[in-house]
Amino acid sequence: MAQDYVIEMLHITKEFPGIKANDDITLQLRRGEIHALLGENGAGKSTLMSVLFGLYQPEQGTIKKDGKEVRIKDPNDANRLGIGMVHQHFKLVECFSVLDNIILGVEDTKNGFLQYASARKKVMDLSERYGLKVDPDAIVSDISVGMQQRVEILKMLYRDNEVLIFDEPTAVLTPQEIDELMEIMRGFRKEGKSILFITHKLAEIMAVADRCSVLRKGKYIGTVDIANTTKEELSRMMVGRDVQLEVQKKESKPGETILAVRDLTVPSRTHNNNAVKNVSFDVRAGEILCIAGIEGNGQTELIYGITGLEKVTGGTVTLNGKDITHASIRERSKAGMSHIPEDRHKHGLVLDYPLEANMVLQRYWDPKFQNKGIIKYGEVRKYANRLIEQFDVRSGQGPITIARSMSGGNQQKAIIAREIDKDPQLLVAVQPTRGLDVGAIEYIHSQLVAQRDAGKAVLLVSLELDEVMKLPDRILVMYEGEIVGEFNPKETTVEELGLYMAGAKKQS
Amino acid sequence: MNILANIISLTIVFAVPLMLVALGGMYSEHSGVINLALEGIMVIGALCACFTLQGFDRSGFGPAHPQLAMLCAILVAGLSGMVFSLLLAFAAINLKADQTIGGTALNTFAPAFAVVVTWAVQGQGLTTIQIPNWIRITQATFGLPAGNGFLDSLIFKYFYLTTPIAVLLFFVAWILMYRTRFGLRLRACGEHPQAADSVGINVYKMRYSGVLISGFLGGIGGLAYTIAVGSGFNASVGGYGFLALAVMIFGNWKPVQILGASIFFALFKVIAAYNSSIPFLPKLEGLKDKSSLYQMLPYVVTMIVLVFTSKHSQAPKAEGIPYDKGTR
Amino acid sequence: MKQKKPLAENGMLIAILSSVLSIIVGLVFGAILLLILNPAKAGIGISAMLTTGISSLDQFGKVLYQSAPLMLCGLSVGFAFKTGLFNIGASGQYTMGAFFALVGAIQFQLPWFLCLLMACIGGAIWGIFPGLFKALFNVNEVITSIMFNWICMFLVNLLFANMPTMLASAWGASNSDRSAALAKANPGAIIPKAGLDKLFGNSSWINISFFIAILVAILVWFILNKTTFGYELKACGLNKDASIYAGINANRNIVLSMIIAGALSGLGGGLYYLAGTIQYVMEKSILSMGFNGIPVALLANSNPIGTIFSSLFISYIQVGGSAMQPNFSSESIDIIIAVIIYLAAFSLLIRGILTKILSGNKKKEVKA
Repeated sequence: MAQDYVIEMLHITKEFPGIKANDDITLQLRRGEIHALLGENGAGKSTLMSVLFGLYQPEQGTIKKDGKEVRIKDPNDANRLGIGMVHQHFKLVECFSVLDNIILGVEDTKNGFLQYASARKKVMDLSERYGLKVDPDAIVSDISVGMQQRVEILKMLYRDNEVLIFDEPTAVLTPQEIDELMEIMRGFRKEGKSILFITHKLAEIMAVADRCSVLRKGKYIGTVDIANTTKEELSRMMVGRDVQLEVQKKESKPGETILAVRDLTVPSRTHNNNAVKNVSFDVRAGEILCIAGIEGNGQTELIYGITGLEKVTGGTVTLNGKDITHASIRERSKAGMSHIPEDRHKHGLVLDYPLEANMVLQRYWDPKFQNKGIIKYGEVRKYANRLIEQFDVRSGQGPITIARSMSGGNQQKAIIAREIDKDPQLLVAVQPTRGLDVGAIEYIHSQLVAQRDAGKAVLLVSLELDEVMKLPDRILVMYEGEIVGEFNPKETTVEELGLYMAGAKKQS
Repeated sequence: MNILANIISLTIVFAVPLMLVALGGMYSEHSGVINLALEGIMVIGALCACFTLQGFDRSGFGPAHPQLAMLCAILVAGLSGMVFSLLLAFAAINLKADQTIGGTALNTFAPAFAVVVTWAVQGQGLTTIQIPNWIRITQATFGLPAGNGFLDSLIFKYFYLTTPIAVLLFFVAWILMYRTRFGLRLRACGEHPQAADSVGINVYKMRYSGVLISGFLGGIGGLAYTIAVGSGFNASVGGYGFLALAVMIFGNWKPVQILGASIFFALFKVIAAYNSSIPFLPKLEGLKDKSSLYQMLPYVVTMIVLVFTSKHSQAPKAEGIPYDKGTR
Repeated sequence: MKQKKPLAENGMLIAILSSVLSIIVGLVFGAILLLILNPAKAGIGISAMLTTGISSLDQFGKVLYQSAPLMLCGLSVGFAFKTGLFNIGASGQYTMGAFFALVGAIQFQLPWFLCLLMACIGGAIWGIFPGLFKALFNVNEVITSIMFNWICMFLVNLLFANMPTMLASAWGASNSDRSAALAKANPGAIIPKAGLDKLFGNSSWINISFFIAILVAILVWFILNKTTFGYELKACGLNKDASIYAGINANRNIVLSMIIAGALSGLGGGLYYLAGTIQYVMEKSILSMGFNGIPVALLANSNPIGTIFSSLFISYIQVGGSAMQPNFSSESIDIIIAVIIYLAAFSLLIRGILTKILSGNKKKEVKA
């Protein structure tokens, strides 16, 4: 049966030093379809699309366009074949204007000098036609994330691309913006464009895709028609086993207030308004409280203010009755706070230190580990070994392994081991499962629940709605620096949360 | 009044090397490579140009066609600086080396190389290369009578071909950076090389261009410095390669502001030279070795200026970070 | 359970091999350069460079004597590297240290060990500036250091000119462009020889400064690797954000580490100028000893114990370099040093290549 495939990627193998990112993968895109590419983190989806877009060259395999074999050496070749890509981390030059970003690489010139008139007209025409509102002269660093994504899409349309690749496009959007994007994609499909859409979110695939190909650990698992499949089947193909979609936990029995935040105001580093505006809430012993919201609404600054990484300009933070608003980070740690940071490479670890040195990062000054300024490395080694055993932290050479060479999951386990072993009253965990595979996620969730059952207060910040719905006992939604709603996860829905996260609603 | 004319013309002649080298640094950094080797590039440019001038002097071509010879020397300065900068480009771009260390290596190499070569050519102990007198543009070049008035001092006391060439290069540099496709792509490579790569721009080639342009401008700057100092080339450019970097930072990596900053700094250098003639400067009776005090001035002023401008620097975001295609 | 690393992963071995490789390439380059410049005399030049250092006890004494300030400058640059900073201002700190030492010796007639202490203080003061400007105003520390190198040179000249007791002319000599000879001005300030000169064939150079330097190297090693202070400094250098997260005061540590680095370079200046054989001449260009601390640190990969050996090497070829005159200028040695620095810039790459070669040649080890 002859199929009209606009793109075929046949037996593609792409290797990087030490890892086979794509292992003999075959992907076929029909003309005019929306084809989802599903897989966990590290499955190889982005790599495969980067090969298609000419950013990487495969070690083996061929690519065919409209049945003819082609070689795509760089993005220019891909563009010439009509292939375009919207990247997960936008590839926009922040200090350039929207127009400059769109024309970069395909500029109109006369004797080398830039000509803007015809480019401007074409951009505005495309913007009208597809409902992609942009301001061509705005500087990219000044515009919203949603508009930045529209610029990325216009980049593709400007180059008359017919095959459009979207790499995790919804990670930075509100539920309403996601619906808009789906509509835009359906519009493209009606015009006969073909779409490849990378994601790990099952709901989106079920909503908009025609077919879905699944990758797992670099290998191709299979392709299914969305009409004939279920979320459970896709999930099973993605991880290779039945996934625990629910978190097992007992009813929570909250005790006294451990953390009290009152009228907290924290300035922003990037703009003149405050990032956190008069925020107040409590976290009690024996409960998990989650701050939910779209990235960039002040959650980062809120945590920085509570943990001491940023100075607060108003309000108070009280831990077990003690005012720590202006205390140093070390004082907060001694007062019973532990912090699993958002960025494990930036804050959580000194990557070039060995594992054992990282294990004592928060406690090297304790008399247990030093005497008159001289570190007792024997004690450090014993301590590290105990934590490695207890928390199953895997590494090449045990405590002397350099942290940089450990996997993301094990690096995170090391941080969690260190922070939990401090036996804190308050455990602050910011996106603790970001970028980890399902096995590691399950483990970390169970650790957080165990802390809560042991009577600790857990303050969680998460961007993953799945996690927000199943892990905490209470949810607070943050929008533009303020708490706009409090919810019981058992009594609310993702849609309702989405409305609050987008600022469409607010509890008074 | 003539003193004022002298001061202005001397300021211009000292501002020229600062501006040229700072523009060179700007090109390099806008493409994403920190060029600490400007000091060494200036030395190499000056070395080769001065030998060229000596050669023209001896062959008689120089005195016969002074400005043509001078033009050749300027080209030699630029080209030799460009070739020398290849070493930095190769290390920083292909080998992804530490750009600070690479620059330091070249800065160590250049003066030593200059001394060794000069020693070998001129003989032991003669480490200064003299510059011939005919390179100066005088009234005679234009067929005008010699004079001593204000205008004569202003225009002709320190008039060398490098000055109008520098003005020309300033405009070329500005237009190239902000009005052409090349400039747009170059700046993209220094701000967000992954973005540039994803639209098909060859980041490596662009960065090579940035460094080579900085080598070209730096080499000419070395010659211009040697002319400004006047006593011949002595394997040193007095830290001007680093002063130029300060000018670049003070000028916020933009050509017009760099021009202003160069004039500002050159003024302080000149005040040192004229300290006894300027009426409103403190006399400082009894202080011995006043010249050391005045020679310190440009560096002290640089520090003060940097204190005020560094907080909000708009350095190219990706500068100093080697570009690796594999990183995403 | 004892952990044993396979050869290819033994970082220290690879680093040493990488340094040795840089040295060989540098020497070969220098030899080729000499051959090009003056083929007839090149052979004499090369052999002078390579053998003068051990040609006599006196010369070897000179090697040891000169390696002491080099070692200290190397320790200074290396210490700063470990804490994430490039101490290109070592020259200024060295000069300021020398100045303070001489002031202590001539102006205040102090004994040598107090003068050395003053040298540390002088260098430490000058070392504060790059760290302070960086921490407070975000000024690039490389440019600050270089500006302060120049400021120091002019400042010291200015101060000397206005402190007549410091000059040689005040102590019976005819010239006023240099500091007084310590033999006349304050013999008690000269660093003792402790009989070493007899050991080295009545060498006029050797004194105990070499051993002082080694003691300091060991002290620096101890601080970096065994103390909480060293733990904090290295953490700041490797990841400033993580050290803030850990409650470490990163800005304070940056300034402290530059103070220590400055003190080390300053001590080097003191050791050199209190030997009694050298007088401080009003300079027109920045003293090169501080800059030479950079290749010393790079060759040793900033390891304090390694610095002992790399400073001996650089000192050795420098002694050879001065013996190469009049056929070749001693700057030829600087060219070799420049090549070594250049290679150090991509040492990561060299180490990667060496690692690949080593792991390819070995059979696969089975991990416990």
